[in-house]
Amino acid sequence: MIQTILALIVKEFHQIRRDRFTLRLIFLAPIMQMMVLAYAISTDVKYVYTAVYDYDQRELSREFVRSMSVGNYFIPSQSPVPLLESEENLRTGDKNVNLIIPNDFSEGLRNSKPVMIGFVADGANANSASIATGYANLIAFQFSERLSRSAFPVVLRQRILYNPEGESVYHIVPGIVAVLLTMVTTLLTAMAIVRERERGTLEQLMVSPIPIPALILGKIIPFAALGYIEFSIALALGVAWFKIPFVGSWPLLYGLSLLFVLTTLGVGMLISTMTNTQQQAMFFTWFFTIYAILMSGFFIPIENMPFFVQKLTYLNPLRYFMIIVRGIMMKGAGLESLRTEVLALVIFAVSMFSFSWMRFQKRAK
Amino acid sequence: MGHVVSIDNLTKDFGKFRAVDHVTLDIEQGEIFGFLGANGAGKTTTIRMLCGLLLPTSGTGTVNGFDIRKENEAIKRSIGYMSQKFSLYTDMTGRENLVFYGSVYRLGRSALKDRIAELEAHLKLSRFIDRLTGSIPVGWRQRIALAAALLHRPRILFLDEPTAGVDPVFRRRFWDILYGLADEGTTLFVTTHYMDEAEYCRRISVMHDGRIIEIGEPQALIRKYNQTDLQETFIHLITHFDRT
Amino acid sequence: MSKTRFIIIKEIRHILRDPRSLVIAIVMPILMTLLYGYAVNLDTKNIKLAVVDEDKSVHSRALVNSFFQSGYFIPSLSAPQINDLEGVLRAGHAHAVLVLRRGFSEAVRTQEPYQVGLVVDGSDANRAAAATNYSNVLLFDFIRRNVSAPTVRPWVWISPRVLYNPDLRSPDFFVPGLIAIILMMISALLTSITIVREKETGTMEQMMTAPVTPKQIIMGKAIPYIGIAFIDGLLVILFAVFHFRVPFEGSYLLLAFFGVIYVTAALSIGVVISTLVRSQLAAMMTALMVTVMPSVMLSGFIFEVKNMPLPLQYLSMIIPARHFIVILRGVMLKGVGAPALWRETLALVLLTSVLLGIAAKRFKLKLG
Repeated sequence: MIQTILALIVKEFHQIRRDRFTLRLIFLAPIMQMMVLAYAISTDVKYVYTAVYDYDQRELSREFVRSMSVGNYFIPSQSPVPLLESEENLRTGDKNVNLIIPNDFSEGLRNSKPVMIGFVADGANANSASIATGYANLIAFQFSERLSRSAFPVVLRQRILYNPEGESVYHIVPGIVAVLLTMVTTLLTAMAIVRERERGTLEQLMVSPIPIPALILGKIIPFAALGYIEFSIALALGVAWFKIPFVGSWPLLYGLSLLFVLTTLGVGMLISTMTNTQQQAMFFTWFFTIYAILMSGFFIPIENMPFFVQKLTYLNPLRYFMIIVRGIMMKGAGLESLRTEVLALVIFAVSMFSFSWMRFQKRAK
Repeated sequence: MGHVVSIDNLTKDFGKFRAVDHVTLDIEQGEIFGFLGANGAGKTTTIRMLCGLLLPTSGTGTVNGFDIRKENEAIKRSIGYMSQKFSLYTDMTGRENLVFYGSVYRLGRSALKDRIAELEAHLKLSRFIDRLTGSIPVGWRQRIALAAALLHRPRILFLDEPTAGVDPVFRRRFWDILYGLADEGTTLFVTTHYMDEAEYCRRISVMHDGRIIEIGEPQALIRKYNQTDLQETFIHLITHFDRT
Repeated sequence: MSKTRFIIIKEIRHILRDPRSLVIAIVMPILMTLLYGYAVNLDTKNIKLAVVDEDKSVHSRALVNSFFQSGYFIPSLSAPQINDLEGVLRAGHAHAVLVLRRGFSEAVRTQEPYQVGLVVDGSDANRAAAATNYSNVLLFDFIRRNVSAPTVRPWVWISPRVLYNPDLRSPDFFVPGLIAIILMMISALLTSITIVREKETGTMEQMMTAPVTPKQIIMGKAIPYIGIAFIDGLLVILFAVFHFRVPFEGSYLLLAFFGVIYVTAALSIGVVISTLVRSQLAAMMTALMVTVMPSVMLSGFIFEVKNMPLPLQYLSMIIPARHFIVILRGVMLKGVGAPALWRETLALVLLTSVLLGIAAKRFKLKLG
């Protein structure tokens, strides 16, 4: 049996070696995708172009405007457009926020009366609008504190763990690593098996005395190895180029990624038993991958999804692996903390292979 | 029974469609048996049942003494199969293909090496054996596929249209090789559309709509139906039975 | 012209008989609309908060309540250990831990110095920032309501007003963009597949020997797909407006006009791809890589272009979806008219002409 499995691995190796497309997929894809995605994906709120209507035009109001521009969240500038037409600014998207300072701003503050500042936001991007409003509130209160020269005694003291610099890239890149692994392993496995079916070589193997476990292992081992290579490249890139911290244990990450790879290989196999042409295989794989990515917590937090959709994510192996990768890399999470995720992946791997085994009969009915 | 292949009332239904209808057949060792029939007559389905690729709906049979229903894995160790597609890995060389299939049939390293050398010489594969099978002429691909089927010295060889798309010179040489194999005691079960090849067989059967409508020696059948050659005999038989 | 009509009819038959095309044309847009409409939501809400309340006073409970009533925080799945607050964060059961040691209630009454602790999981920087901000604001709010004469005066208030999506609904942001994605996907994907299919089966060669011009072939193939694209666009808009209640403030005609230009661009890309690849499989993969991926990632569909590094922002300029999405959002959500969109119009027309030109040249080249 071992000899047969080795022969299968050697065969796979020969084929992959000569398959330009796959080679490019494994080596170039991680680099290209990571580069583009890591830089493009950003849900930070920055560069909120603010049109300032300062009807007070005194020292205090100007100071307030200055305080708004700290940190580059808001980019305030005096607006050339009169107030009546200010909404046109928002409409065309030239500006995201109109800030309106009333003419009794300084006076009111000097007389210790509360003053109200108008803040009109473009709600088209709901996320940015609410965060921008939140920031504005914060700035306003801090401004008040500074003015009264005393801070209220009861304050919030926050401690930010695992990423005090607040780099959003640290959250995204481990996600990309996980996503790449998913895409490559599922696609390669499904395509490889379907290609054999199309060419008739699968039938040739069915007619031989090869045991089914050998057939399955003969596919798992080479593709798991490929997945590992891809994973390592992506990881190396993440750590070396994007400087993602790696606080946890390497062996644990590799061990658990093997478990994850088994699930995606299982899915690839399952897909191959359900499709007859390479195109269908590609399609199903594509479908699976898109949904896996969207519902994994990669860039959309699962908590944000409607209840029903959240429940669906429990059926997505990538969801668990996403938690594992991020947990190990950024938080140094150990087996203890990741108990549930590991269990889920084990259940998945076992079910996928059971299904595939059942469908992979050598003799058709 | 000393028959290499023996089937009794073998039937296969796909839903309401009866692809193979109570086929009964006995094949002796060393025989070259031609399995003829029009497209869609049920030839490939029958072969697949004999090779253990498909479960029969009813009927019984043995191949090399093994029951085709219960011992199909045992059958696979002693048969060779060559499909219409010459199932070779087109992105591997001939030699790599042979090494692979040899290992699948559990040939040891050195035994395999010797066997490949033997087949290479016998089938004159040297020129193309180290080229990618996808880029060699069809006739040579056919030879390498045959070699792959012979690695484990099977007692019976199932060949499903092995000469489809191959030029006449290669076809004739191929049959020379097949004769050699039969002389050595290998039984050959061949389907083909080429009537000139069918005349090489010791016995032939004609299949139509899932049933065997005639079986016997080619020359005897030609005389029986008063035709000039096997092709005319075949056409006569088919049209006669095509009452629908 | 009648020859083109025959090609159109043939093409429609192909489409109707090929389940794959139907799936791409009908099922996928619907599924995508549902998925993106429901699932994609980048607001930072529902932050899992674990609470350690050692004060256990009326005040502390009121504060904790206000946190959960705000809609920003939800209770975490497990309770944190006092001496290992990090545990819940590491396991991902909570995104932040609110710590109220003893003395909170007293500090509020007597206005003594006191620190409310917040330990935040910073791995998702966006969520961490949101958690911190919201907590600050909620704390301020709590103090304002519960302290009669605060020593911090005077107050500067922000009075916020949100235009164009006052309820800050996510679908309003994503669904218009979805139309652009779906149109691009259908047009480019299907066009490239259909042309390559003819190449593969050899029927293209067959057609070349017939008295039809390349132009008639392209038009005959393109028109049914333009039709499908429009039907799908309409489907998505209907879904958006009636199911997700996305507003449609502007002019249908204007949108249709821009739609035609955009779809032409997408079809041109499809044709160019078909001249570069030999198999349907490669056509599919290339179409997806070159059209759908960039359109989703770099067009402003989900991620803001202005946040991206400069090189990517430049890249985004040549992606037709980018401009069409601005137009879509403008027309649907804000009722913008053509003059305000002159920049996008120019960009789109320019891009489309260039793509059309390349497509025409390459197609003639491949045939001649």
